Amino acid sequence: MSILLNKDTRVLVQGITGKTGRIQTKFMLDYGTKIVAGVTPGKGGEIVEGVPVYDTVAEAVTKQGAEAAVFFVPPAGVKNAAIQNIDAGIKLIVVVTEHVPVHDVMEISEYAAERDVIMIGPTTPGIITVGEAKMGIMPAGMFNLGRIGIISRSGTLSYEVSVNLAKAGLGQSTVIGMGADPVVFTNLPELLALFEADKGTDLIVIVGEVGGIQEEKAAEYIDRWITKPVVAYIAGQNVPVGKRMGHAGAIVHGDGKGTPQSKIAALRTMGVDIAEFPADVVKLVSKHLGNRPKTK
Amino acid sequence: MRLYEYEGCKLFQSEGIPVPRYALAANPKEAREKAQEIGLPVVIKAQVLTGGRWLAGGVQSASTPAEVEEVTRHIMENQMLGYNVQQVMVSQKVDIAKEFYVGVTVDDYHGAPVVVLSVEGGVAVNRLARERPESVVSKTVSMGTGLTNEEAKQMCRQVGLRSNDLTHIANVLTALYRVFHKYDALLAEINPIVRTKDGSYFAIDSKVELDDSGLFRHPELNITRESHMLNDLERKGHAIGVTYVELDGDIAIIASGAGLGMASVDIINQKMRSANFLETGGGMTEELLYKATDLVMQKKGLRALFINVYGGINPIHEGAKGIVRYLKEHNVTIPVVAKALGNHEQETWIIFKEAGVHVAGGVSTEQAVEELAHLLEVNK
Repeated sequence: MSILLNKDTRVLVQGITGKTGRIQTKFMLDYGTKIVAGVTPGKGGEIVEGVPVYDTVAEAVTKQGAEAAVFFVPPAGVKNAAIQNIDAGIKLIVVVTEHVPVHDVMEISEYAAERDVIMIGPTTPGIITVGEAKMGIMPAGMFNLGRIGIISRSGTLSYEVSVNLAKAGLGQSTVIGMGADPVVFTNLPELLALFEADKGTDLIVIVGEVGGIQEEKAAEYIDRWITKPVVAYIAGQNVPVGKRMGHAGAIVHGDGKGTPQSKIAALRTMGVDIAEFPADVVKLVSKHLGNRPKTK
Repeated sequence: MRLYEYEGCKLFQSEGIPVPRYALAANPKEAREKAQEIGLPVVIKAQVLTGGRWLAGGVQSASTPAEVEEVTRHIMENQMLGYNVQQVMVSQKVDIAKEFYVGVTVDDYHGAPVVVLSVEGGVAVNRLARERPESVVSKTVSMGTGLTNEEAKQMCRQVGLRSNDLTHIANVLTALYRVFHKYDALLAEINPIVRTKDGSYFAIDSKVELDDSGLFRHPELNITRESHMLNDLERKGHAIGVTYVELDGDIAIIASGAGLGMASVDIINQKMRSANFLETGGGMTEELLYKATDLVMQKKGLRALFINVYGGINPIHEGAKGIVRYLKEHNVTIPVVAKALGNHEQETWIIFKEAGVHVAGGVSTEQAVEELAHLLEVNK
C-alpha cells in the first residue's frame, strides 16, 4: 500500500526531451515506474529511453492512457503545461521545477482545485513509493521498503532522513516532497490525511522548515484527525529568515507564527515527538514502533 | 526582493495612486534645489531597504532651504541601521487629517492574494487587528477575477468608511491590487495612505516586495535582484546562481539544498559556528561549485569547509570536480570534510579523496560534523 503513486500508475513526463528530463526518465524507468509517454511540443514522434514522445498531453492520454504527470519544464512554461495537463484529464501532477513565479502557482492552484486535480510542488523532489515507482528526482538508493510515511518540505532533507532510517533497518511506504517554496500546491494537512488513510503506513514523519505556517496548521489537523503516531524535525533553528509579509502577513496569520519555536510548540502540544536533529528521527521512530499505535 | 520606497511609489503612480510631489537627491545641495522646486515644507526620507527608518531618524521634516541641507547631511552622513544612505527622497509635506492602512499580500498557506484595509495607519496596525478587529478587514481574492471595485467598496463599508473616504480608498484598493498583480508582487503596502486637510488622498510611503522568480517578466522595470541586495557576498552568491547567507562563525558550508543547508547550520552550531549558509539548488555543474567554493572561501579566518551534497537531480561528481579544482589552485590548507550520497556517490568519493578531502563515513550529517570536529581537534 502507498499514497498517490504505485507500480501501475501510468505516468507521462512533461519536458522529456530536455537534458534533465532524459536523465531522470531513465532513473524513473530503472526504478520500475510505468512511464507510458513523454510530452514536448514540437518533438512528437521521438523516442526517449524507449518512451514515445507526443506534442500534446491530450495525445499522451488518448494513445497511452497517461493519468499522472511529472514536470521537467522551465519555470516560465509551468503554467501553460499545467493547464494543458489538467484540461487533458491528468489527475496527479508533480512539478519538480524550481523558481516558478508565485503568481503562477496561485493561479494554477485555483484552476486545479476547481477540477479535483492533486498537484505536488513546485520545487519538489517528487514522490517515491518504495519498491514500486517514483515520480521525480529522488535517488533510489536512499530508501528501504517499510511502513513509515514521510512528508518533507525539503528535498535533500527527505533523503537525509530516509537514508538514516534505512541504515537503521527501518523503511518507508511513500516519501513525498511537498515542495520548498513559500506557496505550494498541496498543504501538509492534506498529505497527512492521505497517510492516515493508507493501510501500508503505521507512522508519519514530518520534515519541516522555518517559515510559513504549514506546521502550525498540521498541528491543528493532527489533533483532530490523525490517529497514527507522528514524529517531526524542523530545520533552520539557527538561520535568520527575512521577514517579508509586513503588517498584512501578521494580520493574515497572526503575530509570532512561522518561527521554529512556534512550530515545535504547536506540534508538541498535539503529542508529536520532536527530533532536535535529523538523526534523532530514527530514535523517536524506533521508540514508537515498539509501542502500539495510539488510538483516538 | 524589496524595492526602494521611490521605486514602489513609481509603481503606485503607474496605476493611478496619488503620491505627493517628490524628487531624489544624492547630496544636501541637490536636496535643497529639489526642495525649492517642490515647495517647502518637505519631508526628507532615507532610501534604504530595511524597515524601521522612522524610529532610526531616517525620515525628517524641513521647512527652510538651510534646514533641508542640514537634515539631508545628517541622514546621509550617518549610517542608517547599518547601511550607507546613497539617496534621499525629498517629498512635499502634506497636512494629514486622517491615516489609513492598505496592503495586498500573498496568503502563502492558502495560496491566494489577500487584501487588507485598516481605518488607522501607522505602526500599530497589527495591534489594532488584535484589539479592535472591527476596524480591520481582510479579503481573499481569486486570481481569476481579481478585486472588483464593488468588493473594494464593500470592504470600505465593513470598516465604516463613507462618502469621499469610501470612494477614494476603494479606488486605491483596486489600484493597489493591480500593482500587486501586474508586477508579480508578494507584498504591496501603503502605510499610511492619508486624507489631507483639504480633502486630497496620498500614499505617503510604499513597501513593495517583488517575487524574484517573476522578475524575468518585467524587463520594463529595469530592476535587478543584485542591485537590491545589501550584503556583498550575498550579492555575489546571487550573481553566480546560489543562495548565500552570511553568518558569524568560521566553518564554511556548501549544501545542495536549502533544508540540508539549514540542518547543517543547526548541527554545526551545537559545538562550532557556521560562517555561512549556502545552497546550490538543483542546477549543479562543475563550474558552479568552483564558484561556490570561491565564494564561501572569501570570508577571513575560516577554520574548515563542510560540504553536504545529495545526488538526486544534481550531478555531485561534477560538483566535486569543481570544488577540488578550487582547492588545488588555491592551495587550501584548512580541513575540508564532505558528505556526499546518492547518484554517482562512489565517483564523487574518489574525486574528493584524491584531493585530500576527508569523506565522511556514515549517512548522517551529525556523524560527518563529529568527524569535522575531530579533525579540528587533531589539527590544533
